[in-house]
Amino acid sequence: MDNVRTFCIIAHIDHGKSTLADRLIQHCGAVEARDFRDQILDSMDIERERGITIKSNSVTLDYVARDGRSYHLNLIDTPGHVDFSHEVRRSLMSCEGALLLVDASQGVEAQTVANLYLALEYDLEIVPVINKIDLPSADVERVRAEIEEDLGLDADDAVLCSAKDGVGIADVLEAVVHRLPPPTGDLAAPLKALIFDAEYDPYRGAVLLVRVMEGTLRPGQQVLLMHTQAHYQVEEVGLLQLRRVRTAELGAGAVGYLIAGVKAVSDIDVGDTVTEAERPAAEPVPGYRPAKPVVFSSIYPMSNEEYPDLAKALEKLKLNDAALTYDKDSSAALGFGFRCGFLGLLHLEVVQERLRREHDLSLILSAPSVRYRVTLADGSVRWIDNPSEFPEPGSISRTEEPFIRTSVMMPERYLGPVMELCRERRGVKTGFHYLAVGRVELTSEMPLADVLFDFNDRLKSVTQGYGSFDYEMLDYRDTDLVKVDILVNGEPVDALAQLVHRDKARPRALHYCERLAETIPRQQFKIAIQGAIGGQIIARTTINAFRKDVTAKCYGGDITRKRKLLEKQKKGKKRMKMVGSVEIPQSAFVAVLKTDKD
Amino acid sequence: MRAGLYIHVPFCASVCPYCDFAVTLAGEERRRAYVAGIEREAAMAAADGLSFDTIYLGGGTPSALAADQLAEVLAAVKAGLRVEAGAWTFLEVNPEDVSSASVRAWRQLGVRAVSLGVQALDGEALAFLGRRHTADGARRALDRLRAGGFTTVSIDLIYGLPGQTVASWSRQLEEAAARAVDHISCYQLTIHRGTVFGRRHARGELEAAPEPAQAELFLLTHRRLAELGYQGYEVSNFAAAPGHRSRHNIKYWRHLPYLGLGPAAHSFVGRRRFWNHRKLRIWQRAVDAGRRPVEGVEELADADLALEAVMLGLRTSDGVDLEALRSRYGIDLVALNRRSIERLCDSGHLVLEADRLRPTVSGMAIADTLARSLELAR
Repeated sequence: MDNVRTFCIIAHIDHGKSTLADRLIQHCGAVEARDFRDQILDSMDIERERGITIKSNSVTLDYVARDGRSYHLNLIDTPGHVDFSHEVRRSLMSCEGALLLVDASQGVEAQTVANLYLALEYDLEIVPVINKIDLPSADVERVRAEIEEDLGLDADDAVLCSAKDGVGIADVLEAVVHRLPPPTGDLAAPLKALIFDAEYDPYRGAVLLVRVMEGTLRPGQQVLLMHTQAHYQVEEVGLLQLRRVRTAELGAGAVGYLIAGVKAVSDIDVGDTVTEAERPAAEPVPGYRPAKPVVFSSIYPMSNEEYPDLAKALEKLKLNDAALTYDKDSSAALGFGFRCGFLGLLHLEVVQERLRREHDLSLILSAPSVRYRVTLADGSVRWIDNPSEFPEPGSISRTEEPFIRTSVMMPERYLGPVMELCRERRGVKTGFHYLAVGRVELTSEMPLADVLFDFNDRLKSVTQGYGSFDYEMLDYRDTDLVKVDILVNGEPVDALAQLVHRDKARPRALHYCERLAETIPRQQFKIAIQGAIGGQIIARTTINAFRKDVTAKCYGGDITRKRKLLEKQKKGKKRMKMVGSVEIPQSAFVAVLKTDKD
Repeated sequence: MRAGLYIHVPFCASVCPYCDFAVTLAGEERRRAYVAGIEREAAMAAADGLSFDTIYLGGGTPSALAADQLAEVLAAVKAGLRVEAGAWTFLEVNPEDVSSASVRAWRQLGVRAVSLGVQALDGEALAFLGRRHTADGARRALDRLRAGGFTTVSIDLIYGLPGQTVASWSRQLEEAAARAVDHISCYQLTIHRGTVFGRRHARGELEAAPEPAQAELFLLTHRRLAELGYQGYEVSNFAAAPGHRSRHNIKYWRHLPYLGLGPAAHSFVGRRRFWNHRKLRIWQRAVDAGRRPVEGVEELADADLALEAVMLGLRTSDGVDLEALRSRYGIDLVALNRRSIERLCDSGHLVLEADRLRPTVSGMAIADTLARSLELAR
């Protein structure tokens, strides 16, 4: 066990986490040059394209250190985004140490801090690594100062590297070997293995990624998942070395995979503990909590004929994405669809993108909503995340919405605009403190709903890209909630209805009306677009009618060309949604969800 | 009803900047070859087995051919194809080609109806359109056609020119009526790619009139001409009496068979539509080599025919023949579109009768949208 090291890399997005992982893997010769591809631990197209990690992965590397000894290095690649903090936590719990990667020109950013705090929560040993030292704008000394002042870590022995150029990679590996502790654990103790993620294999079902804490995991064992109380028989265990390498067992301290006849990823919970049914551990690994969706949106197929395909696609995604929830939903305007729950906006985007790309579906999403707590006059409590289920205003005695604590890090000069942005977003208890010279961390308590609606985009815009942001859930607080309906020629478009704070109702309704007026093509009659609370109109725009579109000539018998044009237009119409007599293109539903500034 | 025979004469003395038809400035030698080519093509087309009661010489500028060449063309098609005695012959002519002598010659050829390419009765508009005649030239041509005994005279006019006012356009319509022309085709200016106007548009030098102005002129045209006694029986066509409707062109709109000879001409026989090579040289090479000069063929399924019937019907005041749709294609248009049709009747775009769905004038103005919004299948 002394020659094992298990670690992860924590970093703000774009600080070079995947590139460093690639270099470590190459340095250890775990992959033939001809098989190598960038971001090798990210297997999904969408991860690779967007440079993000959605699912955790791990790789066991064989490394011969400068002292001549051989080591097993378990590198666990974790998602970096706050939406996936549940997976991040499980991954961190599986490690003894972490490389804290900081970009030599960008310096410490909000996710760096958030992830460091998480790592410290799990008592991880931290090795600061300053990456991208090859950049002309690199300022190692300033970044060292930030690491010391912002993070309170000793930066004197920070490892310097350029993952892109392959500089300093051996130094990083040496630091892993000499500065991170080996795992502890008793091979003979009752089995205790933490599931830190799972992936779906069409032939084998769910493949669980586990870190064995105590005891030994072997094929043939009857195991019990302690939280779900489900029993399985172990079929296969092994190491992940960019492919699955079967082994006879996984002992305490090992990181590897477990196949046990689990059908879908959604059948298990990440964070659950695997133990032996006959000789269970006294208690599970602490910190378990099921992933809870916080953002909700309804997904409709553009064409009703695609509904069965959408159902199949969601079922398939769910196999590999336990956090995604969905239930049948229907809209008068958009037909049948699904009400889906997501871990956050990035998760929503990822799911939408995968449905579009991997399943070739054309979709409409309703405005994302948080989950509100509504207390009725009779004292009963209802959780509402779908505007269509919002009770009669007269029957409500109290509404509450989720609040979050946001942390924004930025150069000092942007403090004013960012404070203004937080105020706009109903931030309270907004405060700030100075970090390293010229840098500020601003914290604020804000309603999650106001962050969902383009906060990140606006932040990037007012800080010219220098501001970074992270958040954690706080609690539910009283709010003054109203339901805003959007009407097209008097017909409510239920998919565009939203729950918003009363103060935000008018600007939000106007924003929607204006966007629709820009994107709905003119038709042969005038179209009124209105925003309303109950019967009261609070915003209005109009699309004027057109009166002529006929082409002058249809002559010489060239009717084929005209018919083909018409057929094309008719096909285009299939991608329109009819609300009353008004044709609304998909682009209109997409456009309303976009922000003013992009 | 019998089939229509269209003969495309691609020759012009100059190319108008708005025109996107198959035209050429080719001279005498190629014209002679063309006339011989039509003779060969007609002989080959006899196999289609059609018999014709209309012949339409369109262009290009058919009047650019000498009278003896026109005579040769007509003799050739009558020799090669089954043309009924008493078939109506239509001829498109340009004002500058109309002289007492040419009028006499055309009468002798048996031409029954003449379509005169006036385009405008306003000097400024004619200059903008790049025409070679003047407004007075057009007036003189009209007088000569009448004097020569033509009883069905049609004129073409183009409207919606940049900067054109309602007043100047109305004046032209009024003058046409005052001169008692029997039929008027009023085409709203369309800027086509690949034309001089198209290139000027691409460079930002020429803008199409905005839609509200176009709509106003379109509706005005129909309203004013109705007041002046002309029936707007198609989007762009107006007749002083039912007998003056173009008995050739309506075949295109009613799915009656037609055969096209010459470059770019289209044919519709049975369920088959085919079209000739557009370039004179390629067409010529084919016919000289004894091949049909066909560039493309399309076999129309019931669904295609039904869609065309609706699309074309909505462009005419006679509207869509609902009974024909039902009996030929098994489509009950009204049952399939009850709500849309009700709405479009309420909004004054359509009129539903026992066996016809007719567009009103404002319905004709949006015929493209109407065709798009009616479903032909569940």
